[in-house]
Amino acid sequence: MSNKLLEIKDLYVNAEEKEILKGINLNINKGEIHVIMGPNGSGKTTTANAILNNPCYKKVNGSITFDGKDITNLKTDEIARSGIFMSFQLPEEIPGVSVTNFLKYAKNKITGKPVKIFEFKKELAKSMEELNMNPKNMERSLNVGFSGGEKKKNEILQMLVLNPKLAILDETDSGLDVDAIKTVSKGIEMFKNKNNAVLIITHNTKILHSLKVDYVHILVNGKIVKTGKQDLAREIEENGYGEYK
Amino acid sequence: MSKTKLDEINRNIYNIKNKDEYDFKIKKGLTPEIIEEISKQKDDPKWMREFRLRALEVYNKLELPTWGPDLSELDMNEIATYVRPKTSLSTSWEDVPEDIKNTFDKLGIPEAEKESLAGVGAQYDSEVVYHSMKEELIKQGVIYTDMESAVKKYPELVKEHFMKCVPVHDHKFVALHGAVWSGGSFVYVPKGVKVDIPLQSYFRLNSPESGQFEHTLIIVDEGASLHFIEGCSAPKYNKVNLHAGCVELYVKDNAYLRYSTIENWSKNMLNLNTKKAIVGKNAKMDWVSGSFGSKISMLYPMSILNGEGAKSEYTGISFAGGGQNLDNGFKVIHNAKNTSSVVNAKSISKNGGKCTYRSLVRINENAGGSKSSVSCESLMLDDISISDTIPVNDIRTDDVEFSHEASIGKISDKTIFYLMSRGLSEEDAKAMIVRGFAYPISKELPVEYAVEMNNLINLELEGAIG
Amino acid sequence: MEKLKLNETPVRTSRNFNINNIKLENVVIPERLGNFNHVTIKAETSKIEISNNTNPIDLTYGLGEELTSQVAKQANQKLKVKIDSKTNQEIQIGFQFDKENTQLVDNIEIEANEDTKSTIVIKYDSQKDVEAFHNGILKVQAKKNSKLNVILVNFMNLESNHFLSIENTLEENAKVQYTIIDFGGKNSITNYYSNIVGNSADNRLNTIYLGNKDQLFDLNYIAELRGEKSNIDMQVEGALKDTAKKHFKGTIDFKKGCKKATGNEAENCMLLSDTARSLALPMLLCSEEEVEGNHSSSAGKVGDKELFYIMSRGFTKKEAMKLMVKAKFNKILENIKSEELREQILNEIDERLN
Repeated sequence: MSNKLLEIKDLYVNAEEKEILKGINLNINKGEIHVIMGPNGSGKTTTANAILNNPCYKKVNGSITFDGKDITNLKTDEIARSGIFMSFQLPEEIPGVSVTNFLKYAKNKITGKPVKIFEFKKELAKSMEELNMNPKNMERSLNVGFSGGEKKKNEILQMLVLNPKLAILDETDSGLDVDAIKTVSKGIEMFKNKNNAVLIITHNTKILHSLKVDYVHILVNGKIVKTGKQDLAREIEENGYGEYK
Repeated sequence: MSKTKLDEINRNIYNIKNKDEYDFKIKKGLTPEIIEEISKQKDDPKWMREFRLRALEVYNKLELPTWGPDLSELDMNEIATYVRPKTSLSTSWEDVPEDIKNTFDKLGIPEAEKESLAGVGAQYDSEVVYHSMKEELIKQGVIYTDMESAVKKYPELVKEHFMKCVPVHDHKFVALHGAVWSGGSFVYVPKGVKVDIPLQSYFRLNSPESGQFEHTLIIVDEGASLHFIEGCSAPKYNKVNLHAGCVELYVKDNAYLRYSTIENWSKNMLNLNTKKAIVGKNAKMDWVSGSFGSKISMLYPMSILNGEGAKSEYTGISFAGGGQNLDNGFKVIHNAKNTSSVVNAKSISKNGGKCTYRSLVRINENAGGSKSSVSCESLMLDDISISDTIPVNDIRTDDVEFSHEASIGKISDKTIFYLMSRGLSEEDAKAMIVRGFAYPISKELPVEYAVEMNNLINLELEGAIG
Repeated sequence: MEKLKLNETPVRTSRNFNINNIKLENVVIPERLGNFNHVTIKAETSKIEISNNTNPIDLTYGLGEELTSQVAKQANQKLKVKIDSKTNQEIQIGFQFDKENTQLVDNIEIEANEDTKSTIVIKYDSQKDVEAFHNGILKVQAKKNSKLNVILVNFMNLESNHFLSIENTLEENAKVQYTIIDFGGKNSITNYYSNIVGNSADNRLNTIYLGNKDQLFDLNYIAELRGEKSNIDMQVEGALKDTAKKHFKGTIDFKKGCKKATGNEAENCMLLSDTARSLALPMLLCSEEEVEGNHSSSAGKVGDKELFYIMSRGFTKKEAMKLMVKAKFNKILENIKSEELREQILNEIDERLN
């Protein structure tokens, strides 16, 4: 069996008529953690949204293959069901739908199997505890009135529950304090195994202090300008993106 | 696959059309002779017969409303105001005729009684066919019976309260109701008695080109409490049916009443219903209302806060699909010191349907120290539907806290994308958001009603989204 | 005497709510008008064309048949202001009622041409003891990309009647801002209608009103959004004293086709006495899906805690009240660039609250 999980080939993407991604190539194998770094406006969030085929972003050229299947033009929910999860930079608030009910429903859609409520709740409570989340949040409306940190933790919780093959974390670390960042990286470690992969999208390097990654890609102006190992992140931390602009 | 099939079965439940069999169906139209005939058929006491005739006079004098939905298709000469089903009132479910029983069986009525209700009434066309209540409540002095029996058995109580809260001059359809009313429930909860589990009346209009004019009169005496549920449905016919019921609620000092309604009339129904509550000192009146059916609905429950410290809360949702014009809302009059009201109204319009929220909040000169807060939210599911908000806020004294908020909009694309990224199809995502939107109302309903409401939402959304 | 029925709302509601229109007693529409000559106009006439307005009257709403036709037939002041200059222009028009000039029926039309920028101040003021009558129509055409700032000031005395119908048409990307200072008149009745036709057109309407004695305000503000991404903002702040009464009828109507349009309406009323009365009908009408509409409305007295706080700093109750009212109005007053005019308004508030 092939180790290949995600393969992006020559991807061009427009947002509102404006060309954002200008020929992205990226390969992610099972068992790997990748990081895409880049300054504001370089196309990081567009990359994540393009993989999930957000209709606000238009693919002009290129292809995305996931787990041996062409997913370039699949609908977002089909992509999610094939095993890709995205943690949102700004998670949406859904009044009237509790965290438990939402996750139970989503889990059922992703696995295609009925979810046993008792076991599910137990599992959920356990994950919440490990992420230092207030168990009362389980019955609250999804993301409604959550603080920034609670929302991000909730995204990680969803990742753990839905257990995708590839998790894309879009700026999950931004705006978090040191403790919360530690919790997020703990969540990633809990999730990670040799059969899945993680793609972290970030503009700062803080999360990389507590997490070992395999590849670091520098995204500038819609193109990956350099790929390296963890030390590339350290270099960016010291010198910024200046030399790549 | 299986889901769609199930929903089809559900829809059919509401649409069961029994043969238009009746014991007596009055001639169509409205004349003093017809009123006399109804009165004779019902064996009214003299005062009631005279009352009906006076109401008819008022009806003839009053004009149709100059505002709201167009009612010109209503031709009273084409509506039979009284249809007596082929049965008499039973207190045992076994005695109800088979076809009528089947209808209610399929609507889950006797089942709900076993599981979660303290008493049940069921009306079929113009007459109540079944009434029963738990033994211990009877011992405590609670009265729950059909309105006709109440007129005969408890004349003083009825005379003192009947159409005093909603006077016949209120508007044209109240006057009509006064003239032709038939059926409905009478409830009396004595001082200090707390009825913990709900009582429920279910109204079913089977006969085509006819009207249902049930009268509900509830008196919750001092310090007592009650939860009353009202459910309505009818099969769909090609011509209009009319529902002009009247609900009068007396919540005496320190008493509590919750009145819940799930209205799912068929989409040829004109629902011109009037509901009003008079709330005493430190008493509380809660309204919970889900409006899904009807072609036209004009329904504005009203709380009159007459006692110091009286409270009222209204939680309601309207869901209008194609061809529906639901003009619903709430009225509250603050008429004593330190009274308070909370309104939480929501509406959903889709497929060319129209929802209007119409309301009145009046804080009178004598109601210093009162508070009122109103929130209304409207959801548009497409660009061929209509959603209007028409609230009147009439503040007549300074020592008040009054606030009103309203918003209108669609489901955001971002939210749909978020849910789809978690594996939900677009249809599922929208349905989930709509159910969440309606949750503040469904959570106020007993479980089986909340389930019914969610089913109705799923049913309504099917085919409309894609 | 027959009652004068005015200012119908675009959509009716129950008659018992007494807000579909206003019926005035004891108001006489003068049949014959004298001259009105006390008018001052300040503008750079090389840049702005001011001429006799000869356009026929044609209003979508207006206050009502009687008043509209009076303007059509009998206007004793007709002004047409045409703005062509691309540099910022300011025009001031003042109408001063006095013993010789008691009746004004004016018909003003403003044409703001493409890409122009201008501010127009129109002020109605009356001497004490003059029983004045004002009935006016103000029509505004805001062409493509024009920016227009209109400031209307009503300082009339409490013996007078003030009637005004406003109608605006906004073309593509036009930005029209109104600041209405509505203080005067025994009856002050305004009909405001904006037809927001152009894509990305933007209309902001800010009003402050101040009710005294038995003053009556009837404000019927209507905005119809037709252009894509168009916007209306209505902000109304007011205070009512004694037995003053206010009817606010605000309608935002999202017409079919106004995709991505936004509309906001906020109306707050401070009640300064237990006999003042605030009646409000903030309507949202919507026949388009992709829009965002909000309204909020509130009423109540000045908070005891705030009053106490201010009084603890050495102010009397009356002074504290005045301060609170002015603080409430301040955000809207900031729209007025002229410091002189702002000062006048603040002084007027002080005087009227005495």
